[in-house]
Amino acid sequence: MTSAETTPVAEHPVDHRAERPIEHPGDQPILDPAKAAAFPAAVLPVLRNPQLRKNVAHAIDVIQAKRARLVEEKSDWQELRSAASRIRDEALSHLGTYLEQFEARCTEAGGTVHWAADAADARRIILDILRQENASEVIKIKTMTSAEIQLNPFLEAGGVSVFETDLAEIILQLGEGEPSHIVVPALHVNRSQVREIFARRMGLNDLSDDPKALTAAARNYLRRKFLEIPTAISGANFLVAETGSVVVVESEGNGRMCLTLPRTMISIAGIEKVVPRFQDLEVMLQVLARSATGERMNPYNSIWTGVTPGDGPQRFHVVLLDNGRSQILAGKTERQTLRCIRCAACMNACPVYRQTGGHAYGSVYPGPIGAILTPQLMQMHHAQSLPYASSLCGACYEVCPVKINIPEVLLELRSQVVNQERKQTLRFFDPMYLGLRIANLLFSRAWLFHAAQQMGRIGLGIFTRKDGWIHSLPSIGAKWTQTRDLRGLPDQTFHAWWAAREKEAK
Amino acid sequence: MSTSSQSRQQILKRIYAATGSEADRPEQAAAAWSALPRGYIRMGSMSAEARIERMVERLREYDAEVTECAPDELPGAIATQLRASGKRSIVAPAGVPREWLTTGYDWKIDYDLQTEEIERADGVLTACFCAIADSGTIVLHHSASEGRRVITLLPDWHLCVLKASQIVETLPEYFARCQTAPALVTTISGPSATADIEMTRIKGVHGPRFMNVILVRDDGSKTSLN
Amino acid sequence: MRASLFITCYNDTLYPETGRAVVSLLERLGVELDFHARQTCCGQMHANTGFRGEAFSQAKRFVQMYQDTETVVIPSSSCVAMIRDQYPGLFEELGNEDLRRQFAALLPRVVELSEFLIDRLKVDDVGAYFPHRVTYHASCHGLRALHLGDRPYRLLNKVRGLDFVPLANLDRCCGFGGTFSVKNAEVSSAMMAVKLQDIMQTGAEFCTALDNSCLMHLGGAMHRQYLGMKTIHVAEILASTGPGATATQRPARAEAIR
Repeated sequence: MTSAETTPVAEHPVDHRAERPIEHPGDQPILDPAKAAAFPAAVLPVLRNPQLRKNVAHAIDVIQAKRARLVEEKSDWQELRSAASRIRDEALSHLGTYLEQFEARCTEAGGTVHWAADAADARRIILDILRQENASEVIKIKTMTSAEIQLNPFLEAGGVSVFETDLAEIILQLGEGEPSHIVVPALHVNRSQVREIFARRMGLNDLSDDPKALTAAARNYLRRKFLEIPTAISGANFLVAETGSVVVVESEGNGRMCLTLPRTMISIAGIEKVVPRFQDLEVMLQVLARSATGERMNPYNSIWTGVTPGDGPQRFHVVLLDNGRSQILAGKTERQTLRCIRCAACMNACPVYRQTGGHAYGSVYPGPIGAILTPQLMQMHHAQSLPYASSLCGACYEVCPVKINIPEVLLELRSQVVNQERKQTLRFFDPMYLGLRIANLLFSRAWLFHAAQQMGRIGLGIFTRKDGWIHSLPSIGAKWTQTRDLRGLPDQTFHAWWAAREKEAK
Repeated sequence: MSTSSQSRQQILKRIYAATGSEADRPEQAAAAWSALPRGYIRMGSMSAEARIERMVERLREYDAEVTECAPDELPGAIATQLRASGKRSIVAPAGVPREWLTTGYDWKIDYDLQTEEIERADGVLTACFCAIADSGTIVLHHSASEGRRVITLLPDWHLCVLKASQIVETLPEYFARCQTAPALVTTISGPSATADIEMTRIKGVHGPRFMNVILVRDDGSKTSLN
Repeated sequence: MRASLFITCYNDTLYPETGRAVVSLLERLGVELDFHARQTCCGQMHANTGFRGEAFSQAKRFVQMYQDTETVVIPSSSCVAMIRDQYPGLFEELGNEDLRRQFAALLPRVVELSEFLIDRLKVDDVGAYFPHRVTYHASCHGLRALHLGDRPYRLLNKVRGLDFVPLANLDRCCGFGGTFSVKNAEVSSAMMAVKLQDIMQTGAEFCTALDNSCLMHLGGAMHRQYLGMKTIHVAEILASTGPGATATQRPARAEAIR
């Protein structure tokens, strides 16, 4: 671990927030937005890692291709997107009403609903429930919400052993890695790396690296745990207000194991997960499966309501998590962020994510959705580099099943970051800030603009070589010229040419 | 718990501040919900026969074995499937018709079986609520003839009886069939799978790895599957 | 047909030849073109970096400058996207009733170059001659914001002598992204490298696009790496004439242009 105090901040003229430059590829990614390195610095070791880039590109190509085929075949795909978007918006517009309805129905059906204002609140609620149950072990279905609140280390410290049951989560837990994608969290790990982790941690020295063998090893490793551990923790894909039901969407079957066999079930869900009515699932399930895994329907969906006597857990708790969501709800442009159904289609489509993978975003929510959700969950105190981690190409918006206009939110957040920063004295001399303020002044008067063009031609002329091109520039310019040439400024601007032509014509 | 109710108050206060105080009226929400535009496909357009063919096609894509029979042939069809499977101990929910329980097998009727017993069984026989042809999905509402969730989860083989009249084409049609929202639902679209390792799809992680479906032609149509 | 050319700040400064080509092309097609000498910038750079107040002052200036103009033609899809997608929000947030009205009236009169040719002039054969192998890069703004669709292809297909090669992974961003190219220069370069692989695969002599911003980025790398390919704006291809097409050639539907 390099020390922030002694290691120079990554050389980057525009971002002074790189608290800890990652210089060694072996460094563990830090998925805590309050501690992670800023995006421009965080990407550097990743960009130099061909294996990782290949793994990421391969994974997203596979899902993208499957998704594309199914979207092509679904003649009402755009109508489904519209409906999904409107259903989610309606849920958010009347969020208080729907949450209270959910709570009433779930409680009537024998569940207990808890409300957690923030991550610490949620962690404490869950640990208290486990203590009441005398639970020393829990089995878990993958839930990014629990990663968001950093639940596992907290439980472990509280004397509860946590056993992840999703294959990707097992790989990460046993290999002490971090998720890099919200649907396929271990996509950055290849088969030989998995083999090494399982062989070491499961004591299987003769294990091959065939995915089939690796999966079988995980199946065996988990079987007894499913049958014996009486307490489980899950997330929720949707909460249905009308019925007080919880919906879990999965492929592996570990979800069904966790929510059927134990005695006590705890589900943690962001408050935004609610949909108004049972019937709304007819839209949400169609768009989720196609967007997340490129299937018409994922292998297993489970819907349950409170407690059903004689079937499944007899003690059921739901923890509703705010942790910054109610604040996002208040923003006119920002609210659409909460429509997200965590399908990851945006990161699969993102040309930036394709090159960087998820860890560089320093959050359990990476990619385009992460770039808007993470800083907002941090109330814009951290992760300010994430709204800039985008070329604004719009591919994410095109594929989002609930039509979140991610570029629009990115731009809104950029303006919030700038408004935050421009007040800081340090920013006054930041080349980017200074440059843009000067540029604005120049654009306000034609003569200023033209004068600046002249000066620019003279100034850049110093850097222009005989072939008429600039190969190297100082300051921010160096960021351009490190990989690109810049053609020198032409002798005559267009407007000067036009003026001369007009003069000639007279 | 008092802290939780403090949090509850705090959260709801923030939510209502964000969405406006008008927003807390259930009638408003209901009206807004009813006004939501739904331009997507609700009813399928396939003929009954095409729908059944699609269902069978999808099931076979999932490597499920599909056979069919006329309603009065069902007990015989079940017997045939059991014989071909080579399995001995089969779990069945308490509500399946008696005539389904072919003699000569070790039937474990679920009057409240222990988990270990279910784990040791070779297979399970159930009915289902509905099936969706578009996605090849079997839907269980865990009624008396479908059984508790655990019995279709632990055994490695699921023999499922599906009536032709239970098949719909689209997912919205399934929802239309639910008179009231069910408390428990499990949808099954193929065996479990994972693509977590290098995106290589591996089938059969947890849950039954094998499924046989008996399609009962209760709609009067002639059998036609090859 | 009359139109006013908004050259864009970066074309004025860095790619005046694109402007000259637009003039030559449109005048050849019988368009009476003018040019507001006081124009500067549409505000995109500021808006995209988060400087909304500054962006608005430029937007205001733009709208006021062109309020009496029949049609504003812009050889840059990103600038048109700025006006269509971001101006509404800026005027809503920072403008007043009058300005919003002025903007609303102006908006339908602002068009990108290929839109002007195909939709307004209703021509796809502009009498061009460009005997080279060319591939077309669809900039993200043109593709997703303006939905230009097949307009550029229809125009390029009618260019005599042009050997068109389609580009693979057409909808993938080249990595320029405005200030992204310096704020996240390394990722931008990685995306550029991947894009260049696809472009080089075409074996083309020229990579063309409707936006010099993307071309500055791609072309800068081509030059740095001695890749033996050049970039050129679509306007310059369309302005090119020669054997088989003359400078005074009128397209078949010239009569429709009034």
